[in-house]
Amino acid sequence: MKVFKIIILAVVFIFISCEEAIWDKAVETTSPQSNLDYLWKECNEKYSYFELKNIDWDAIKVEYSAKIHDKMTEDALFNVLGDMLAELKDDHTNLISNFNISRFGTHHLGQDNFDWRIITDNYLPKDYYISGPFAHGFIANGEIGYVRFSSFSDEIDQINTDFVLNRYKDTKGLILDLRENGGGSPKDMFKLLSRFVETKTLIYYSRIKSGPNHNDFSDSKPAYVEPYDGERYKNKVVILTDRGTFSAGSFTALAAKAISNIVLIGDTTGGGLGLPNGGQLPNGWTYRFSITQALTLDKSPDYENGVPPDIPVLFDWNDLKTDEIIERAIIELQ
Amino acid sequence: MRKITISLVLLVSTGVLSQNISSKKKLREKRPSYINIAVGKGYSRFVDFATSPLVYSGVQNYISLSYNKVDKKRETEYGFSYSFGNHKNNFNKQEAISKVYIVSPYYSQLYQLNKFNTEKLNIKVGGLLNATGNFRVNESLGNNGVGLEVIPTLFGSIKASNLFLSRRRGKDKKLAFRLNVGIINNSFRNGYVYSGQAFILNKPILESVFDDYQFKVFSGFRMNTALDFTMPLKNKNKIKFSYIWEAYKTGGEVDTFQAAHHTVKFTLLFNTNNQ
Repeated sequence: MKVFKIIILAVVFIFISCEEAIWDKAVETTSPQSNLDYLWKECNEKYSYFELKNIDWDAIKVEYSAKIHDKMTEDALFNVLGDMLAELKDDHTNLISNFNISRFGTHHLGQDNFDWRIITDNYLPKDYYISGPFAHGFIANGEIGYVRFSSFSDEIDQINTDFVLNRYKDTKGLILDLRENGGGSPKDMFKLLSRFVETKTLIYYSRIKSGPNHNDFSDSKPAYVEPYDGERYKNKVVILTDRGTFSAGSFTALAAKAISNIVLIGDTTGGGLGLPNGGQLPNGWTYRFSITQALTLDKSPDYENGVPPDIPVLFDWNDLKTDEIIERAIIELQ
Repeated sequence: MRKITISLVLLVSTGVLSQNISSKKKLREKRPSYINIAVGKGYSRFVDFATSPLVYSGVQNYISLSYNKVDKKRETEYGFSYSFGNHKNNFNKQEAISKVYIVSPYYSQLYQLNKFNTEKLNIKVGGLLNATGNFRVNESLGNNGVGLEVIPTLFGSIKASNLFLSRRRGKDKKLAFRLNVGIINNSFRNGYVYSGQAFILNKPILESVFDDYQFKVFSGFRMNTALDFTMPLKNKNKIKFSYIWEAYKTGGEVDTFQAAHHTVKFTLLFNTNNQ
């Protein structure tokens, strides 16, 4: 047995050495410059909106490298790297550590256009319904259905959607309020839109980064929504948007442009039409940034800067009893 | 006359052939065969450069089920192994966990090299076909949190058995060492940016899983070894203690995946043909 043990130990030793010879060297380091270089390179080769946003990423490297030194604190390094990512002007871009999360804040690009309290005080009945992710009730003397959808939280199912659409099936129109909806699961978007189309509808295209140059993309691939085989809403729909409508919210607004019975009212969305990836830096922090482009039906990526409303309306904060955007939607639906 | 000659030659050769076939069949039937059930523990490490330059490591639980036929002349085995465990990286007080599940179906065939065969050393050579599938979940990596790759490899194999054991210690106690080196290394792995875009295109789940995947042939490197100590039991069954080492990396200039496993396993070999 002794010989056996010696052989095992020898073999283990030999093959652990072999393993190091076969492997590429992993890079674990807290060096500020190494981490900046790594993050900059990952973005440089994979981020999808440099050209649209006219970002000089080389100049940004020079600018932020000048802020780096070996003795800087972790907090200081985090702020430098977080600020560098904010230059991408994209809330799908974050740096994440166990003490902070960096973000850009596209909702600050426009004024605030939403106050839930004004809606519950002045539009909805006190006993408005909550069905899964939807808060809803009749407004405008029962002629219009109002549905607040605050997050694409993957909670849309057949039961809650059937209930909502069946309740308002005889209304003149439906308001779907996506203001300050920061997004979530795209599956929710397809489930929702499938209730508003009568035929298979092309809603947008998407392409994904396929190489290290800023303009290396795959072919554009179409996204379709197909009519749900069951309860559908066939009257006019108004979707309310603002700068806080982001990611899956913006995707929904983009898709709505391709659906004839949906009108967008409010403010331009916050964008977020690039699918974010995820990765880790050599110091263990994680990051994400956009790696796809969603394109309009004429294959333009411009709506990453925000999907514009069909009817622009802003909130008037001098009147705290009226939601001007809902008022305009009511006019549109009557 | 020519017809008679041809008929005779055919008759004789058919006879020889059928005799060969029947003797081979007899040999095959006499070859002891076993169902192998193994459990083990291992220590694994991996780096997926597509998502992180850091090493994740942890303990793997290992099970395998296989069937083999083996004698001095020839050895055939097919089966699969499954291992699972949590792998961690805790560099710079930033803890990230990757749950790793690995399935490896395999088929192996070895033939004796007569030249080197002695009573104390039996050398066999042949091949091993192994398709390892890794499924990894690391929630800290957001939309890149699920890693799924298949590493199909055709190995060239050499196995030395009866090593170092004297008659005094029992004729059937065997020590064997096997080396497999990848000859055709392949990988089926995520594309350039790792994530696919299928789920923003409303594609079915199966299309989403392998969206933007790439199959690379003759690319990468893979090698593994097994050191086995086998002991017979009274009822023609056997038990085996093994140490298995494996290391590989996928091909390409960027974003490779590399892994290494050290596994100690215990196998029960149930004889199925009383040979």
